[in-house]
Amino acid sequence: MEEPKHIFIGKKTIRKDGIPKVTGTLKFSSDIYVPGMLVGRVFKSPYAFADVKRIDTSEAERMGAVVITPDDVPDKIFNPRLVSIFEVTYKDYRVLTKHPRYLGDAIAAVAAPTEEAAQRALEAIKVEFERVYEPILDPFEAMSPSAPLIHKRILKGDEWIDVKNNVGCTLEYSEGDVDKALKEADVVLERRFRTNRRYHMQLEPKTSVCIPHSDGSITIYSTTQTIHNTRILISQIFDIPMSKINVVKVPIGGSFGSSIQINPVVPISVALCLKARKPVKISMTREEDIYDHAAYQMHFKIRAGAKSDGTLIAGELENIMDIGAHQIQAYPLLGTALGWFVSLYKWKNIRYVGKAVYTNKVPTCAFRGYGAPQVSWAVETLIDEMAEELGIDPVEFRLKNYVGKGDIFWGQGPTVKSIIRSDGVPELLQRGKELIGWERRRPPSEKTGRYRRGIGVGRSFHTSGAGGPISGETIDYTGAILKLNEDGTIDYITALQDHGGGTLDAHVKIIAEELGVPPDLINLVWSDTQTTLYDVCTHASRGTYVGGGAAVQAARELKNKIFNYAIRVLNKAVNQDMLELGYDKELGQAVVYVRDNPQMRITLKDLATIAWQRNWGTISTTVTYRSKAAPPSFTVYFVEVEVDTYTGKVRPVKVIAGADIGTVINPDYAAGQLHGGFAQGWGMATLEDTIYDPRTGELTNKGFITDYKILTAPDMPKLDDFQVIFAHTYEPTGPHGAKGLGEAALNSVAGAVANAIYNAIGVRFYELPITPERILEALKKKGR
Amino acid sequence: MKIPIEFTLNGQKVRTEVEPNELLLNLLREKFGYTGPKYVCGIGECGACTVLLDGEPVLSCLTLAVDVDGHEVTTVEGLAKSRELTLVQKALIEEAGVQCGYCTPGFVIMIDKLLKENPNPTEEEIRDYIRGNLCRCTGYVNIVKAAMKAAEELRKGTTKVAEISKE
Repeated sequence: MEEPKHIFIGKKTIRKDGIPKVTGTLKFSSDIYVPGMLVGRVFKSPYAFADVKRIDTSEAERMGAVVITPDDVPDKIFNPRLVSIFEVTYKDYRVLTKHPRYLGDAIAAVAAPTEEAAQRALEAIKVEFERVYEPILDPFEAMSPSAPLIHKRILKGDEWIDVKNNVGCTLEYSEGDVDKALKEADVVLERRFRTNRRYHMQLEPKTSVCIPHSDGSITIYSTTQTIHNTRILISQIFDIPMSKINVVKVPIGGSFGSSIQINPVVPISVALCLKARKPVKISMTREEDIYDHAAYQMHFKIRAGAKSDGTLIAGELENIMDIGAHQIQAYPLLGTALGWFVSLYKWKNIRYVGKAVYTNKVPTCAFRGYGAPQVSWAVETLIDEMAEELGIDPVEFRLKNYVGKGDIFWGQGPTVKSIIRSDGVPELLQRGKELIGWERRRPPSEKTGRYRRGIGVGRSFHTSGAGGPISGETIDYTGAILKLNEDGTIDYITALQDHGGGTLDAHVKIIAEELGVPPDLINLVWSDTQTTLYDVCTHASRGTYVGGGAAVQAARELKNKIFNYAIRVLNKAVNQDMLELGYDKELGQAVVYVRDNPQMRITLKDLATIAWQRNWGTISTTVTYRSKAAPPSFTVYFVEVEVDTYTGKVRPVKVIAGADIGTVINPDYAAGQLHGGFAQGWGMATLEDTIYDPRTGELTNKGFITDYKILTAPDMPKLDDFQVIFAHTYEPTGPHGAKGLGEAALNSVAGAVANAIYNAIGVRFYELPITPERILEALKKKGR
Repeated sequence: MKIPIEFTLNGQKVRTEVEPNELLLNLLREKFGYTGPKYVCGIGECGACTVLLDGEPVLSCLTLAVDVDGHEVTTVEGLAKSRELTLVQKALIEEAGVQCGYCTPGFVIMIDKLLKENPNPTEEEIRDYIRGNLCRCTGYVNIVKAAMKAAEELRKGTTKVAEISKE
């Protein structure tokens, strides 16, 4: 399909929040200070697995602090994430608990006029424990019948279910006959993989500010990817009508999935606020934030079979997820992990067992890619090995077996299926090969000396949202409001959050393109729940694709209403269908004109003014929008690394980051997603993990980022050695042909890095991160 | 016991009283409303709280408020004048060096300082100078590009402050 010519889409523009961000004047939730505000602090369990006997708050109260314990909060069990429908939502969280299940579960909280007073009051709380248990930190031990149960009963929807063997939920699936296919295969590989327990390290520590009003209503400012689900959850927990809760959209200082759910500080701040009848702010320390969430840690067993001609014929995945102490989106992730697996390659015969296992560790939640980085790393490692076994070029092997155009894509698991209509994989693989210099790639056996270089490829994808032709287990719709102001400028109002990727600037360009109104005359309104329509959440790389779809629909409806008024003014025009609306470059504004008679025209500015002066009323539209598909955005990374065989250190030498995102709306910010995605992927592959003290269940880094390394500027490849390429594709279901990107930008990185390390030193790693220690150990075993 | 201090904050003489253990970061944010400097780690690992003390970058999360008595403090808010931006701020916006924006104030201060010391830095010198500032969004690519662009503008003799260009 031919790409249409665009005026604003695909052009660099100045982001709307750019000036407030570079001048430090933009207010994040952590920057909210309200007169009379109290500072809240949370008492977190010092034990990983215990039962509370008694909480003595008398000293803290004598100091003047407002204190809450589990007896002061509603007796409600909930799941802080409201993206799945009720029936498949597993609930085990409470606002405050007497039964801490990891070192960090909230037991009580205090509020006082200053941070210091709050901290002193916190330290004055005495908690006596009934029993302290040995923490269970290994998911396989947790599943043994003799292991104590971390949660005995949990809710699934509104029904109690008994937990068996600490398995929170399971999912099994099969298609075809895997056993038979594996018998017929010429090559069978069986491998076990273990991923790391990464921390999001979003720069803004999670914060919540709750302000009470005299009419009984409250206003909340919090670090969130979803203002509407925040409002719904608080309404459900505290039995406050939604009309009495307003959640304000404030910028978020990085998210990467860490605030898809409503974070524990939010209901705690509300409980403190309701008791104190004063504004309460809780801003976590970094150490507390590390104890809030981590990435899903997965233990895979994969068996795969192929014929000697390079055709895959079987794929089996066992996925044991160590979810930590609570369920957030473990159940839907069991489905998506399967979805990522089956949508990477045509296994033909498939078998899957997924189990989410409770341990006494930090609860896990989505982390950019929602399991796809983990699955893709494992599969891409195995596919590389398989290609080598078969003696086929790894790129050719991928091209032969990947799931592409015309195939069924599983989007976010078995309940979100759609057909792939745009596919840039062949182009990305071809161009990537040329740019990295694939022909330079030599087998590891030919490499000697201290520094050894290797080239690797990794591919993956992510969905664009979780919509689809039918309603599944995932909620996915959004809303948009457009208002033509009396001078022809536009107010655009949406609840959808921009995490910094430029999502809302993409919407603005789409609206500009539709209406001919330049982006600088479109106002992006900082909104709240009381003035916007529901949006589920900015997650699943849906911001541009789904939110952009809503923007297109709203703009087209607005255009119709504009024509309706224009026909009254353009007195010779008789047919509304003959009107056009477009950008006049000379005037620098939008103009309504008659097709084939462009001299018959009126500027949108004049039309808006006339509508106002003649009392015709405001032109506005309100749309609620669900996308009918969830197309994959494909990414392909080619990475060259250098391994120092003396120290075990690896450095990225050259990166070709390729993405198929359909029409590129924000070229510079899309590239930015790939830059940042690579940096996080490199961290996943070589650096990042949270490690536990096996006796106590405490993090060995004590929560300090000193011992949680992420990349710094000198660790990245040079500017000239980092190249971004976009495929020339057009997604027919997307807004002006666009798809999502945020997560796809990360998903394929670790696989590419691991394959490059293999190509350098001839060692496969089945555990992440691939640290210098692990490299040295492997080289030692191999005899260098 | 509160201690009276007097210092210059973004060009203005200010007087206040502080606790002996009060951090400069908290003083700036809570008492003076300058929330450009951010708390991210609190232990001097990330650079998000960077401000200038007598023109030198310091980590305000590790600086006691009493120690700025008689000195001059500049936060990111003090670099730009009204709608005018510094070359570094302008370049960061134009080169898409800003994503979530939480680390941005620290980078603005550091790159500004780098260009004062060395108007002709190499890419390696830029990367080395900002190695103490963490960013989780950008992979530093567009931040480094912005620093190079600002340096280029500076060498071309572009005035210290510039209007942001439209579209």
